[in-house]
Amino acid sequence: MTDVASSHPPTPPPVKPGTLEIRGISKAFPNVQALSDVSLDIRPGEILAFVGENGAGKSTLLKIINGDYKPDAGTLSMDGRPLTFPSPYVAHQSGIRVIYQEPEIIPGVDVAENIWVGELPKRFGLLDRRQLNQQVERSLKEYGFEGALPMHLLGDELSSAQRQLVEIMRALKSGVRVLALDEPTSSLTDEEVDRLFALVRRLRGEGVAIIYVSHRIKEILRLCDRVAILRDGNLIAVKPASELNDAEIVRLMVGRELSSVFQRRPAGTGHEVLRVEGLQSNWHDDVNFHINAGEVIGFAGLVGAGRTELAKVIFGALPKTGGQVILSGQVVTIHRPDEAIARGIGFAPEDRKREGLVPVRSVLENASMAILRQLTRFHFVRKGLERMVATRFVERLRVRTPSLEQEVGKLSGGNQQKVVLARWLAAKPKVLILDEPTRGIDVGAKVEIYHLIDELANEGLGIMLISSELPEILGLSDRIYVMQNGRITGELSGAEATEEAILGLAFTDHLSAAPVGSTASQQKGSTI
Amino acid sequence: MSESQTKQTTNPARRGGIIKRVVGVIGTDNLSLIFALVIVVFLVTTVSGWFGLSGGDKFFSWQNLMNSLAQAIVIVGLVAIGETVVIIAGALDISVGSIASIGSVVAASVLVGVGIIGSLGILPVGNVVIAILAGILAGTIAGAINGFIVTVLRVNPIIATLGTLAAFAGFAFLLAPDGKPVGVMTQPAFTWLAQGRFLENIAIPSLGGAKWTGIPVLTVILVVVAIAAHILMSYTDFGRSIYAIGGNATAARLAGINLSKVRVLMYMLSGGIAGLAGVLLAARTTSGNPINGNGIELQAITAVFLGGAATSGGKGTIAGTFLAVILVGILNNGMNLLGFNTFIQRVALGFLLIAAVAISQWRQARAENARTRIANAG
Repeated sequence: MTDVASSHPPTPPPVKPGTLEIRGISKAFPNVQALSDVSLDIRPGEILAFVGENGAGKSTLLKIINGDYKPDAGTLSMDGRPLTFPSPYVAHQSGIRVIYQEPEIIPGVDVAENIWVGELPKRFGLLDRRQLNQQVERSLKEYGFEGALPMHLLGDELSSAQRQLVEIMRALKSGVRVLALDEPTSSLTDEEVDRLFALVRRLRGEGVAIIYVSHRIKEILRLCDRVAILRDGNLIAVKPASELNDAEIVRLMVGRELSSVFQRRPAGTGHEVLRVEGLQSNWHDDVNFHINAGEVIGFAGLVGAGRTELAKVIFGALPKTGGQVILSGQVVTIHRPDEAIARGIGFAPEDRKREGLVPVRSVLENASMAILRQLTRFHFVRKGLERMVATRFVERLRVRTPSLEQEVGKLSGGNQQKVVLARWLAAKPKVLILDEPTRGIDVGAKVEIYHLIDELANEGLGIMLISSELPEILGLSDRIYVMQNGRITGELSGAEATEEAILGLAFTDHLSAAPVGSTASQQKGSTI
Repeated sequence: MSESQTKQTTNPARRGGIIKRVVGVIGTDNLSLIFALVIVVFLVTTVSGWFGLSGGDKFFSWQNLMNSLAQAIVIVGLVAIGETVVIIAGALDISVGSIASIGSVVAASVLVGVGIIGSLGILPVGNVVIAILAGILAGTIAGAINGFIVTVLRVNPIIATLGTLAAFAGFAFLLAPDGKPVGVMTQPAFTWLAQGRFLENIAIPSLGGAKWTGIPVLTVILVVVAIAAHILMSYTDFGRSIYAIGGNATAARLAGINLSKVRVLMYMLSGGIAGLAGVLLAARTTSGNPINGNGIELQAITAVFLGGAATSGGKGTIAGTFLAVILVGILNNGMNLLGFNTFIQRVALGFLLIAAVAISQWRQARAENARTRIANAG
């Protein structure tokens, strides 16, 4: 069997039963060719890694495998039988299970019921509690999770790791044959990672075909048998892990030297625009940092480290209990977002749909929202002026929209994000906080946003960049603060920062006592 | 962006054609209301005859259109306009009926000088303008109380105004002397509000034997308030904030909109308009009666949803509500003319509310599907 994918394989060799055959899959979205002609075998008893930059097509491929999307061309088959699209049900029936980063957990229901949802044991038409608990206890014991996943916890009390376990247990109980894990370790502790790896290896031994999607190259080399590398929707190579090393994988993923992907060219820093001293809140303990004009300052850390909450506290969207926020040398009190905006702070939140945009309103209204008051005379909106301002920034950011009247919710993710940025550029802030500015958007728009961040900083803006993508932080930041459990655990200059250094600061004493648990802060953070 | 998406998302109303432009101004959603109007008029005037019902022929008389129809819709129409603002902001004000009762009692008791407020002796007795303003102010204060409960006490708007619906209803009785209605029959300057006509004596050639009877003062008030509300919602920062809050309150707050301030002002507006409606009710019934406003909230909310406002907020227009008010008015008026009793009318109104919301939900689901499809593609 060939290891390197070719679009027209010669006579297909015989395949092992239980192999998921992917043949010639293509999928296009309005802005991007997400996958072109991908052919690949997912073999039983093997761990296959999918690697690639964000937007390379990994998620799209997973969604096609899970039956969420219908490909434009190509087939999937198992045991010689083609799978029909799009139907997660058919995929489940065939034993295919994709574990996404954020599994669907029913909040008010305990672990046992969450695992057995849909097939709960019944007795006289009522839930048979005892049988359910026995079943769940047995299977948790079997896989060694009885300590990690207490059965009585409710869905909303679970940590990210526990949520994943619930989803994995769901898959296991229904006889999984192909198990795909999407970034399973992104919010796990070292110990949890080890336990997960042990489970994955055990399943491999039982003949399950495993797809492992991750950004962490070291983990992949440690765990996986083969590595499939995707770039811009193409399958670049499929090689045994033993023939690869870090540098080689990065080279194949990026297709060019990493340094050329992001083009931060600092133009020199100016005076201090933001200083935070001894900041305290429900989520934070003694946070100190500063940002100068013309700087991009990266904030790295795990999900739940308190970065988003820090942005919101500074912006007045969450309460501060102590410490000082100093803007351009002046101590300020900010209780509400409108006060922060008036003082020259802009904030593009992480969750565009829930917090960034009013989807049912137009591009124009969304773009002018933060400066609406300045665009009025006697409370009447000066529509000509508003249109002029909106047009200027919509054009500068190259937002692709049929008109300014278009509902923002109908634009693609990348264009939605650009509308949020247009709003903040229009407000002419001194400090711009960007929380995960490239999450969920296509590669083209991403690169545009990177250029924009670079440009804005060089125009003298101080930028606070929160991102969970380390390459993004490393490529764009002049300095980096690493956060963990509501505290800043380290500051790195652009030159000394490496993935290892950041991860070290993000993980150290992760399990030791801290003001707030990571799950708790995550949940609080979601209700602003 | 690919060619296909550009085509897919271009709004047809924006391209060429005078008819399409006119449609664009009315709004495609409101167009269906105009169709509904035509159908209801056709049912009342023509179809009813086929089933042997009589009275439909009276529909197109000036007497009916200007006296019965145009006046009947005014009170509900006013309250519905205030309610539209609240519903666009994603909230609800159920207390408007009771606020109208308060406005009605306050205006009448100030005018006559009785009851708790009237006997204080602060306000001059017999001054129509003061009486009207007192009614509106009472409504505005009631609205401010709603706003306080919703923003400061953080009570869900439905529960908050359900509570004040009951409380304000009781309060209207407390304000009336011994809980009894205050008669204003002897105040012609006040009852003129309901009975007066503009352009009454202008000679207009009679149409089909119908006689020109002038334009009721009530109707003029409704139209003026509707236009003012339309301007407020379409051209001011307040209107923008209302739409933004209704569409996504969290995003609106993070974009610098002061949610509490806008919400309190919104409830004050809704309350003030309900207070005015109450004043006009007192003028029309010639009495400041504490039960004057009972049940108006249901009709007003029905009209707002029928007018195309989204239950989830962020969408809706004053024009849509206005058309819906006329539609409900014609339906009631037609049933009156055809001799249906009021019980049947109430059954019809209840089901109309459900139908209006069902249609609105269906529209939202369709729009939501379209959005998810495209957003996923990004």
